[in-house]
Amino acid sequence: MRLSFKGGIHPLKELHEGKDKSMHKPIKELVPEKVAIQVDMHVGAPSQPIVKKGDQVKVGQVIATAVGNLGIPVHASISGAVTAVTNRQMLGKKASAIIEITSDGQDEWVELHPLGDVETVPADKIIQQVKDAGICGLGGACFPTHVKMSPADDKKIDTIIINGSECETFLTADHQLMLEEPERIVNGTRAIMRAMNVKTGVIAIEDNKMDAVKTMTDAASGREGVSVVVLKTKYPQGSEKNLIKAVTKREVPSGGLPCDCGVAVFNVGTAAAVADAIMEGKPLVKRITTVTGCVKEPSNLKVRIGTSFQDAIDFAGGFTEEPGKIFAGGSMTGIAAPNTDVCISKANNGIVVLNKKDSVVKSPTGCIRCGRCIDACPIMLNPQKLKELCDAGDLAGAKKRYIMECCACGACSYVCPAKLELSASFKEAKDKITARGV
Amino acid sequence: MNLRLSTGPHYLHRESTQTLMLDVIIALVPTTAAGIYLFGSKAAWVLAVAVASAVICEYIFQKLAKRPVRIMDLSAVVTGLILGLNLPAEAPLWLPAVGSAFAIIIVKELFGGIGHNFLNPALLARGVLLASWPARMSVYFMPTRVLGITSAVPAGPDAVSSATALLRPQGYEVYDLLMGNIPGTIGEVCKIAILIGFLYMLFVGTIKWHIPVIFVGTVALMTWLLGGDPLKAVLSGGLLFGAVFMATDYVTNPMLTIGQIIFAVGCGILVTVIRMTKAYPEGVTYAILLMNIATPLIDKMTSRRVYGTVKKHA
Repeated sequence: MRLSFKGGIHPLKELHEGKDKSMHKPIKELVPEKVAIQVDMHVGAPSQPIVKKGDQVKVGQVIATAVGNLGIPVHASISGAVTAVTNRQMLGKKASAIIEITSDGQDEWVELHPLGDVETVPADKIIQQVKDAGICGLGGACFPTHVKMSPADDKKIDTIIINGSECETFLTADHQLMLEEPERIVNGTRAIMRAMNVKTGVIAIEDNKMDAVKTMTDAASGREGVSVVVLKTKYPQGSEKNLIKAVTKREVPSGGLPCDCGVAVFNVGTAAAVADAIMEGKPLVKRITTVTGCVKEPSNLKVRIGTSFQDAIDFAGGFTEEPGKIFAGGSMTGIAAPNTDVCISKANNGIVVLNKKDSVVKSPTGCIRCGRCIDACPIMLNPQKLKELCDAGDLAGAKKRYIMECCACGACSYVCPAKLELSASFKEAKDKITARGV
Repeated sequence: MNLRLSTGPHYLHRESTQTLMLDVIIALVPTTAAGIYLFGSKAAWVLAVAVASAVICEYIFQKLAKRPVRIMDLSAVVTGLILGLNLPAEAPLWLPAVGSAFAIIIVKELFGGIGHNFLNPALLARGVLLASWPARMSVYFMPTRVLGITSAVPAGPDAVSSATALLRPQGYEVYDLLMGNIPGTIGEVCKIAILIGFLYMLFVGTIKWHIPVIFVGTVALMTWLLGGDPLKAVLSGGLLFGAVFMATDYVTNPMLTIGQIIFAVGCGILVTVIRMTKAYPEGVTYAILLMNIATPLIDKMTSRRVYGTVKKHA
């Protein structure tokens, strides 16, 4: 049986979700000459740089320390000299503080302190190790993983979901990771389960990746409490709220967190990073990123954090034609890059290059009340009505109709025949409501 | 390198207002063809004038109002075609011209253009023509094809033994009702053609089944309960055409499925009541129009439970 949720869409179905080009391409490692590592990659206060221009650093060395409850440290992803500690425009709204390192070509690691086997290491040491490794949600949200692993005492978590749905278009990074390194994912799952004292770990994968279902099932066999479930291929299946509904039939209460319904969700890449931190003592300095679209060799790259888009695109053979738009992530929620000097962050699961023709934005026409947005909304909102309210500036009315529950998946905008920018309007309205306290 | 910056989604579904309207036009092809086959070239002229008038009026109005000209979205073509199919083949050509102009200018554009009209333009235009020129609008002719006359000679008075097939459905066989060998408007007579269009729209996803099926089902059930023949009630008059092509107009029916069910049941009840009381020879037009008016109210009163919330928002 394929688990699923109500609503949702199947984007780019005719193009197999845009995944064909990079699917099953073996993971290749890219070590760039230069990296620019943001200290504000994760949700929470930016980390504090502790290196200065001219310092020599090794791979895995802490270059910025954690600040505040949600803080995590940032590590050097290549060895060499710090050549700048400055601000630079990345994918965020404002310029980000970055630490630039130029490689010495040695790729030399700092001394590592592994904890040992995930089944025997003391459970109470795991969370600190995860924090020290600078791990945050690699699915794109970049929420600090150690915080997710430490819910308040009154929240009883009984199920861990490991998210291998990869419902976003174009991306194949998680898929390839599940094919090539399923053991890492299962080890990480076990580490998280033990640290949180949870007996059930469910690895959830969409049915367009049945080969990954097989590798993960094989890897999970004989491992305590770990199972694999198959999800229907549907967007946004990998969105936390919908994934929880599909797998457990529970709903995250309005305004709450997954822990309020007894669940914690981690991306497969995050689980693999946790395994590395526990078993090898390695901090998070690389991740798998799909580079696809109008590039000569669409690939799944294991890239160092801070690699520039240009380096990643060059490694994938360069452009096949003049690019019109480049975005980080899939086509549904990806963030458009202003140039190719921006760098890969911990959140960055893909780089997609569109040609000039596909980059043309269609101008919106009038709503014809066809109701497609209503069928598409995975949260059961009424996007048509919300858009009317937003356009009229009625933020209080929009809030009353639960606009704050919008998960910004973009499904409504995708299906709209009038090409209205629904989800973008909702995001703007939500920001205004938060800022003004409507 | 000049990169475009915009928020996602970066790829949109291929479907646009234009492709949706094109699908409706494709779905209307069998009905149009059947109408022209059955009624001859007169019918073709009525349809051509209706469509041309709708498109020209929209173009002129949008030019004069300094709005973007949107005739390429094909919605005016659909309006004109549906209005034309709602007219008798013997209608004088000024009738479709005036009807389409009214539909586009008064009902659609003056209310703000596509998506803002609260009544279906073709339907209201038909209603207005019906009220203004009842003699021309409610006298239906037997298809010339049935009378064995292939030229466009007006059918003789004996061809019109009653105003509409609806008043004496017992007089026609189910086969004739299905194939269109009955008096009626250009588009409503051939039920087979309408059903083909319905299946096409279901198949390509233009519409969902709820409104047509529940609308027609309600009429059948109520007619049966009141002692009538449900099959002939369904196959008579403009019911099928209205249920498939006019009640399903996105703009003028409710947004939520539950609202659409209420809308369809309401249409069915009204049609049966109007037919039973014989206030008008045919109740479909007014039944749908009345439910169009009720649509904002239905939208206001229906809601669905938002994920993670308990209470329903009324």
